[in-house]
Amino acid sequence: MSNYFNTLSLRDQLAQLGQCEFMHASEFADGVNALKGKKLVVVGCGSQGLNQGLNLRDSGLDVSYTLRDAAIQEQRQSWKNATDNGFTVGTYKELIPTADLVLNLTPDKQHSAVVGEIVPLMKKDSCLAYSHGFNIVEEGMQVREDITVIMVAPKCPGTEVREEYKRGFCVPTLIAVHKDNDPRGEGLALAKAYAVGTGGDRAGVLMSSFIAEVKSDLMGEQTILCGMLQTGSLLCFDKMIEKGMDAGYASKLIQYGWETVTEALKYGGVTNMMDRLSNPAKLKAFDLSEELKVIMRPLYNKHMDDIMSGAFSAGMMEDWNNDDKNLLGWRKETGESAFENAQNTEQEISEQEYFDHGILMVAMVRAGVELAYETMVAAGIKEESAYYESLHETPLIANTIARKKLWDMNNTISDTAEYGCYLYNHACLPLLSDFMTNIDTDVIGRGMGLNDDSVDNQRLIDVNAQLRQHSVEKIGQTLRGYMGAMKKIV
Amino acid sequence: MNSIAIQNCSVSFSDSFLLRDISFTLELDQHWVILGPNGSGKSAIAALLAGFGELKAGSIQGLPSRVSLVSFESQRQLIERELDRDESDITDEIFEGTQVQEILLEDCVDSQRLERLIDLFEFRTKLDRGFRNLSTGETRKVLLMKALCSNPSLLVLDEPFDGLDVASTKILKSILEEFKRKHPIVLVLNRFDEVPDWVTHFVYTKSVSEGIVTYGGIAHVIARDNKLAMESLNQLVQLTKTDVFFPEADSSDAVPELNPVDPLVRMKDVSIAYGDKVIFEHLNWQVDPGQHWQVVGPNGSGKTCLLNLITGDHPQCYANDIFVLGFQRGQGESIWEIKQHIGYVSSALQWDYRVSINLMNVILSGFFDSIGMYQKATDQQTKIATQWLKLLAMDARWDQPFSQLSYGDQRLILIARAMVKHPHMLILDEPCLGLDDLNRQLVLALIDRICRGSETTVLYVNHHQEDAIDGIEQILTLGRG
Repeated sequence: MSNYFNTLSLRDQLAQLGQCEFMHASEFADGVNALKGKKLVVVGCGSQGLNQGLNLRDSGLDVSYTLRDAAIQEQRQSWKNATDNGFTVGTYKELIPTADLVLNLTPDKQHSAVVGEIVPLMKKDSCLAYSHGFNIVEEGMQVREDITVIMVAPKCPGTEVREEYKRGFCVPTLIAVHKDNDPRGEGLALAKAYAVGTGGDRAGVLMSSFIAEVKSDLMGEQTILCGMLQTGSLLCFDKMIEKGMDAGYASKLIQYGWETVTEALKYGGVTNMMDRLSNPAKLKAFDLSEELKVIMRPLYNKHMDDIMSGAFSAGMMEDWNNDDKNLLGWRKETGESAFENAQNTEQEISEQEYFDHGILMVAMVRAGVELAYETMVAAGIKEESAYYESLHETPLIANTIARKKLWDMNNTISDTAEYGCYLYNHACLPLLSDFMTNIDTDVIGRGMGLNDDSVDNQRLIDVNAQLRQHSVEKIGQTLRGYMGAMKKIV
Repeated sequence: MNSIAIQNCSVSFSDSFLLRDISFTLELDQHWVILGPNGSGKSAIAALLAGFGELKAGSIQGLPSRVSLVSFESQRQLIERELDRDESDITDEIFEGTQVQEILLEDCVDSQRLERLIDLFEFRTKLDRGFRNLSTGETRKVLLMKALCSNPSLLVLDEPFDGLDVASTKILKSILEEFKRKHPIVLVLNRFDEVPDWVTHFVYTKSVSEGIVTYGGIAHVIARDNKLAMESLNQLVQLTKTDVFFPEADSSDAVPELNPVDPLVRMKDVSIAYGDKVIFEHLNWQVDPGQHWQVVGPNGSGKTCLLNLITGDHPQCYANDIFVLGFQRGQGESIWEIKQHIGYVSSALQWDYRVSINLMNVILSGFFDSIGMYQKATDQQTKIATQWLKLLAMDARWDQPFSQLSYGDQRLILIARAMVKHPHMLILDEPCLGLDDLNRQLVLALIDRICRGSETTVLYVNHHQEDAIDGIEQILTLGRG
């Protein structure tokens, strides 16, 4: 197998990278009908597997789980997840041959082995679904010709997929049909029904391609989503400690600060997040983020280039074959960081204080979102994809940090994201060391403490214009407008 | 003596009604209003201050010698006295009854004031009429004039505005305004909006029935400057009024009808376990239309679990033999088809309801079974939601963020959210959890309303016996698994 993307002509590469289209609600009028009465068998019962399965069953579909023999015999966690939730569980041999739709929701690194094992067992003319196209795009998996291959990728961790569904909503979802495997032309209908089953149609569905999904997803998760928040957490915490601040306060400010400032991002983009600051603080955050963008741009470009060339996935697969030595070592390091182990203060921090005392955090979010977005768009990814994989997902990852700091974030995201996150972190920490020497508690920890909030009008106008006219703000406004939820709740 | 001190008093008014364990201290520069549901002892407390009732226990100190009470009861007594005097069936003479003039002068101390009142109430021409021939409103005025002219050191008025026309109400209010400068006034009122500005303290009464005996008592005494408590009190008075009606359902998007011969819920040999840990097993349970159920049991006995099997939120509902609201579970139905029949309130829901959204939208979200609003509500739905807010006396606050409400108010809003669509079933999982006494009574009053006044079957989980609701007769007890 070889990297599928690299086998394509530049023309095909660009065509597939540039695919991303918001689907109108009327395209989902058939609901789950295309899958009604069909047998859905989920492979793997981790976070995505379990939670998507719960949603699909609650939408009236017939869902069961298949696990490796060993997982069943040893009653591993995946087996417990499935049986505790009242699902039928069986081996590959028992269930795969009965399936009309097989949902491969195992971790990326197992895909090659799993798909190699299940495809020979699959019924003729059945369908194989992924929630992430890594296996197809980066590993070049080739699936039997009679099988339809689709992707339905909810743009959230599995737990969110479930929680949002239970609230009567869901998370935005990318769907795609692998054009090399759509023998009967039914891929799109099946993907749409699957997306309705997880609730995705209520939050908005983007028609994408395997390639656009993989390349943008990798870029987003490594840089702004996980990497920037990880690096930012460590730097901001260490700075506050260095300046003699209380570790409990510093820890709390960071743990909940990302969630609070990105909540503003979710509702009104970078503009709204920056507007939550006082005018002098906004100008300060703007200057810091401009500086950060200059320093970090080469790093974002490098990540994008490595993703496009396949160097990133090749490196990661090497680590897979090396028993995850790097991944596990880095994971351990994260667990041992001073931030991770600090106890939060009991002291209340008001919503506004998270902004006022977290100016640098706001600056890092702005810089990271805009850089990731700009880099993706420059590489041929459509604005819609780039928006979802940068700005849109940031609050979701920030929520996981609010739960249990970096450990929980890295636990919730995929191993692939986690690997990329550490790569970014290790490169970004030294990159920002000079920048950080000039940082003081006025921008992280204590606030500016000004008696006079006056600013120069012309400068404020210029800064506001730059913020508002950024392309991520324009596409964001359009996409948020599509999502009834955002419009109504605000 | 500067105050009236009632301590642990139990006072009998009849074989079937007693005031029990009443304590309060009324300073003589205060003016109180007594509010509460019908039959909870408002008038009895007023009568107690006027020296009525048989003291069974406790002590009363500092009661002034001259207390005037105007009430339906005193009005009735005066009318009865007149009837007793009527000997026309013996004497065969037409008896006009005692003249108004005579009655007014009976205990008049301040004749100057009387003259003024006669003019104000336009009674000059009615002085020589027989008391018996007056209308109800007029006899009420006579009693009021009589009481005011006796120069009491404490004036107790039980529903004084009832039966008075607008003009007379206004006159009475202005007279009271003047009177209260010298002496304390205690009012009994049914309507919160009738309470004059100068009232300093609010007493809220409640009662419990034990067999045929009803015991009235005081639930709360709240000073006017306690704003939060005052708001809750306002709602409580509103909800316990007798003439409360629930807003209509949404006619254009009504919950589908169920087959009337089916039970609402039927569970056969249901067992719930996590691994080896059994929560409960072999449970058989049927809920028929029109029944209200209370589910009781210790912590961990699976009460919430059981409710979640009905709402579809418990995943093992697919692995059991459960029929719910027209669907045998696990046959390709979607949970939204089931949820449309159910209104649901629990602390867990309250925790989940963290989206920043105003009260109006929280109630509207009940039409869509969603947490948060993701669809546009119709005009009719908005109108219905407004009526619910009005019912809860929160209509002026419709735009307030839900998260800013007190815990108890949040609970009320969530119950209204659950009820807007007129579901076939209302599930309340510990609705009083975490509420203070006043808020608990508010929530219970609302649930009581729902049990008595709608087509909705109520399933109610709670721990506390004192939170029992009269209308709920069926009880399911879960033991520890």
